[in-house]
Amino acid sequence: MRRPSVRRMTALVAAGLLLPALAACGSDDKDGGDDGSGSSLVIYSGRNEKLVKPLLDKLEKAVGTEVEVRYGDSAELAAQILEEGARTKAGLFFSQDAGALGALSKEGMLRKLPAATLDQVDEVYRGSDGDWVGLSGRVRVIAYNPDEVTEGEVPDSVFDVVKPEWKGKVGFAPTNASFQAFVTGMRVLKGDDTTRQWLEDLKANGSKTYAHNLATLDAVEAGEVSLGLVNHYYWYERVAEKGEDKVNSKLHFLPGKDPGALINVAGAGILKDGGQSETAQKAVDYLLSKDAQTYFADTTKEYPLAAGVTSTVEGLPPFESLQSPDIDLGRLESLQETLAMLQDAGLV
Amino acid sequence: MAGRTRTPSRPPRKPRTADSRPPLVLLVPACVAALFALLPLGYLAVRALERGPAFAWDVVADKRTLDLLGRSLGLTVAVVAACLVLGISLAWLTVRTALPGARAWSVLATLPLAVPSYVAAFAWLSAEPDLAGFGGAALALTLVSFPYVQLPVAAALRGIDPAQEEAARSLGHGPLRTFLRVTLPQLRPAAAGGALLVALYVLSDFGAVSLMRYDTFTRAIHTSYRASFDRTPAAALSVVLVVMTVALVAAEARTRGRAGHARTGTGTARPAVPFALGRWRTLALLWCAAVVAVAVAFPLGTLGYWLAVGSSATWDLGGLAETAWATLGVAAAGAGLTTVLALPVGVIAARHRGRGARLLEQAAYAGHALPGITVALALVFFAVRYAYPLYQQLPLLICAYAVLFLPVAVAATRAAVLQSAPVMEDVARSLGRRPWQVLREVTVPLAAPGVAAGAALTFVVCMKELPATLLLRPTGMDTLATRLWTETGAGSFAAAAPYAAVLILLAAVPSYLLGRHRT
Amino acid sequence: MNDMNALHVEGLTKSYGAGEPILRGLELTVPAGALAAVLGPSGCGKTTMLRIVAGFLRADEGTVRLGDRLLSGPGVHLPPERRRIGIVPQEGALFPHLSVARNVAFGLTGADRSERRRVTDEMLELVGLAGYGDRMPHELSGGQQQRVALARALAPRPGLVLLDEPFNALDSALRAGVRADVRSALRATGATAVLVTHDQQEALSTADLVAVVRDGRVAQCATPQDLYRRPADPWIAGFVGDAVLLPGTVEGAGTALTALGAVPLAAPPDGLRAGTVLLRPEQLRLTDTDSDGSVRGTVTDVSYYGHDAMVTVAVQGHDTPVGIRVAGPLSVRPGEETGVRVVGEAGLHP
Repeated sequence: MRRPSVRRMTALVAAGLLLPALAACGSDDKDGGDDGSGSSLVIYSGRNEKLVKPLLDKLEKAVGTEVEVRYGDSAELAAQILEEGARTKAGLFFSQDAGALGALSKEGMLRKLPAATLDQVDEVYRGSDGDWVGLSGRVRVIAYNPDEVTEGEVPDSVFDVVKPEWKGKVGFAPTNASFQAFVTGMRVLKGDDTTRQWLEDLKANGSKTYAHNLATLDAVEAGEVSLGLVNHYYWYERVAEKGEDKVNSKLHFLPGKDPGALINVAGAGILKDGGQSETAQKAVDYLLSKDAQTYFADTTKEYPLAAGVTSTVEGLPPFESLQSPDIDLGRLESLQETLAMLQDAGLV
Repeated sequence: MAGRTRTPSRPPRKPRTADSRPPLVLLVPACVAALFALLPLGYLAVRALERGPAFAWDVVADKRTLDLLGRSLGLTVAVVAACLVLGISLAWLTVRTALPGARAWSVLATLPLAVPSYVAAFAWLSAEPDLAGFGGAALALTLVSFPYVQLPVAAALRGIDPAQEEAARSLGHGPLRTFLRVTLPQLRPAAAGGALLVALYVLSDFGAVSLMRYDTFTRAIHTSYRASFDRTPAAALSVVLVVMTVALVAAEARTRGRAGHARTGTGTARPAVPFALGRWRTLALLWCAAVVAVAVAFPLGTLGYWLAVGSSATWDLGGLAETAWATLGVAAAGAGLTTVLALPVGVIAARHRGRGARLLEQAAYAGHALPGITVALALVFFAVRYAYPLYQQLPLLICAYAVLFLPVAVAATRAAVLQSAPVMEDVARSLGRRPWQVLREVTVPLAAPGVAAGAALTFVVCMKELPATLLLRPTGMDTLATRLWTETGAGSFAAAAPYAAVLILLAAVPSYLLGRHRT
Repeated sequence: MNDMNALHVEGLTKSYGAGEPILRGLELTVPAGALAAVLGPSGCGKTTMLRIVAGFLRADEGTVRLGDRLLSGPGVHLPPERRRIGIVPQEGALFPHLSVARNVAFGLTGADRSERRRVTDEMLELVGLAGYGDRMPHELSGGQQQRVALARALAPRPGLVLLDEPFNALDSALRAGVRADVRSALRATGATAVLVTHDQQEALSTADLVAVVRDGRVAQCATPQDLYRRPADPWIAGFVGDAVLLPGTVEGAGTALTALGAVPLAAPPDGLRAGTVLLRPEQLRLTDTDSDGSVRGTVTDVSYYGHDAMVTVAVQGHDTPVGIRVAGPLSVRPGEETGVRVVGEAGLHP
């Protein structure tokens, strides 16, 4: 018979929908009742949960109050905070990059940090209005495949990767935020015309584009390309995951303040209207503490920016040895034009 | 004068509902649903005009807008065309032919719905980086969205009286001509409804186009948020998307024509006799296998590969189960609310033809092409201002699902209601039932399989929704999609694989039910 | 039954949008307990009338009353569910998701369980389908479905039952039986019934009263006999049956002179000097060629139906052959000469 089975099917679907839905509503009651009174701290984290959850767990202990973390994309969280305005639930914004913090700063949503906090970090790596502070840094490098090129052959400047001998041998991830920050840095350092030319040359040289840094690194590993423009920590994570002997590629740190050696930072800012500034301040202090800075060094393989912590990761050049260009990171928010340029060059 | 006087032909029916207004029991909830769906538009109006209409116009009138329009439409046309071919062919093969394992194929062909577009794009890119661009985006989007066409078309095929096809065959039409001239025209409403959903899905998609680096409106909107943290241009561009949506919905409504598609044979149709494929059997099997291979096996294989080569694989079964359960919960609640809201809109769209009915349906669709992030921000905007206690609570997330996926359920409901003859409702009225009782006892039970199919479909798309879930979920809550995002964001593809696999497996359950209800 | 169930339709007008009106002041009265057929060609407005009476459509003007209850009128529109009007649609339209018994019991909302059961069984028995309650609609034949549809409509004891071309989908062998059963079931319950049809045989054979609808008005409403014998005009005459229409001139008080000779008129000519004379084929007889009072003609065609036959004969002075219904054994063949004689009285129309 035809109809009863239809009825059964409908009932099945209805039951299937109802049960978990009820469960969901039930669990909602359980953890409802967010008081927002400031006794707990809400962190909007643009940094990936996998990377920073252990750190934030420790932070919870350190500040002594309950900490709730909302993970998301830095830019989207910034948009969310802007939309929330004065009624934001966030006490602290922990951003993957300086741009998102700069956007909140521009709208006057961040609270000025005390000098004692700011002074722990080099002036280059904090907001020009003193309302956010960098916590960890990552440097742009060139990964290379030693089967294809020797260390000596790897260019010392990104301007060299567009030379004919690297035709079709360079990989990069044009949609990656760090790459775009680097292009913005190049614009600040060398001007728009030079940058535009470089992008066009990069494309004309048959350089290969990948979805993200890891895919770029994979391509270098596989010899699909000889050089890859990536962030340093991907390689160190890969080494930590697979063991150094199983990782084929090597890294080249660019000398001479080349734009290709730009340092991007992750940072944090306190929301004026979050009503949690006291605990948020404690959290920032913790993130600048030796404990947290060591975590950045050891676990995320980044460069710690404060507390005199130096990375103990094997093979990682000391922070002081990096010859990065001097750029006001606040100016990196002119990303819009960078994207227009990438689009014009047909790269994104 | 001589000979028998007989009037041979049956009188043509008048448009039955020409002057009947929808009863209040439908109209009021339908208006509520439509208002709900229009929330993002209200937000866009506020944001787009924040700096005056001149600024918004400058954004929209930029030469790039036209370029983006062309690119977005080009991608949409390509994906819709491909989805129509895949969806209709698979629906026909699995419903009407003696294809070996037809039921299994129909279930398998529904599975791609569970594959998030970003996973599909990712899988293809990791296999072949050169796919990036138009081709890759079209491929990935086609392979995750063709079931939008296949499901309603299969349902419609089951509803068509096989006698019509038999009549056509007896009139000397071959199988192909019969399909093209008799079956296909009757599938038009179902196929057009599915195609509309595909089109809006393509317009709203960010995952695949960003990975494939194909520039579309959605990407420009995201870029505007990301690069300039400026919501005004994003809103202005979103308005263009809304205009495109309205145009598409209107175009779809035109393809429906005025023909009634309720069955006109005696009371209840006989089950169709499956069409023997003969020497085409192998080819048909190969076709099904190929589609399933690229749309299901390939992404699953990629997941397996990630699991095999990565060392980040951790089988945290407890966490996995908890996340899966939470995902089921919100997706079910989302599908439930969406279906309930869609019901009155779908019934009105099927049964009433006035301008008001059309507007209601269009309202339900208006925001569907907007990227999830825009809808999410709209709900943040309204919730923070007018429903603060709900903000970052489950009910708001569930409402977001309803706003995002209302058209999915509306399309299914409308098609299902169209399948049953309106005269049933007249009879019920004459037997003493009020409009709401008719709805409960006749319209809904008769449309139930289709409505349930719509609910299952909504359930699946809720499960894999990412951008709105990220912004609106209760702090600390994870769904399979957000977990997948977290793990892939950290480059832990092996750790991400179990979540993706569970997502696809869970979606297989409603798919199985959808594929089953042919008997 | 009492007059509570008499149907009065007055001055019904209706147009769809800006188009031509489909009803132009339709009037119809059906006495309580009678079965009236509303007969008309396609597009005459009969279905629109039915939908207005049932309450699915609103009339532009006019009233619908059942007994002394005003169902539709200026500012009044009782919703269908409160009209106590049963409908039997084309092809039955049984609810496919409900069993036969539940279909029949669908309208029995006020009753308790045992009463519902009793009425359902009674109704199924009435339509000759006792014991079919557990079947699903798709397990029934077309005729059975139609009977269940009737049982369903009758179960709540409606004052009026509307039947919308209910026998259309049935094959002709089945049709007569179902038709007779429907009539006896309707009689048994005493409900007033309106049967909408375009089939004049169905109307004449089933109904107590036939209303012919033309261009949105009732052109004539009469008993089947009166309608057939005394149609109001030649169009109706042709519509309700086979007609022989001949030009004739009045001669004396009660006779008209036609190509078939002098024909006695049923009613005085009422001042008419000439007009169309209406005869039915069964009023003509084949005779010998030189028989008294007959005219000569040539057989052009013979159609044999078993119970009778139709013979068409070309006669002098009339350019279309006339049809003659012949009962009993048939002895003529096309091409043969024959005589034709008129029996009984004819009608005269302007």
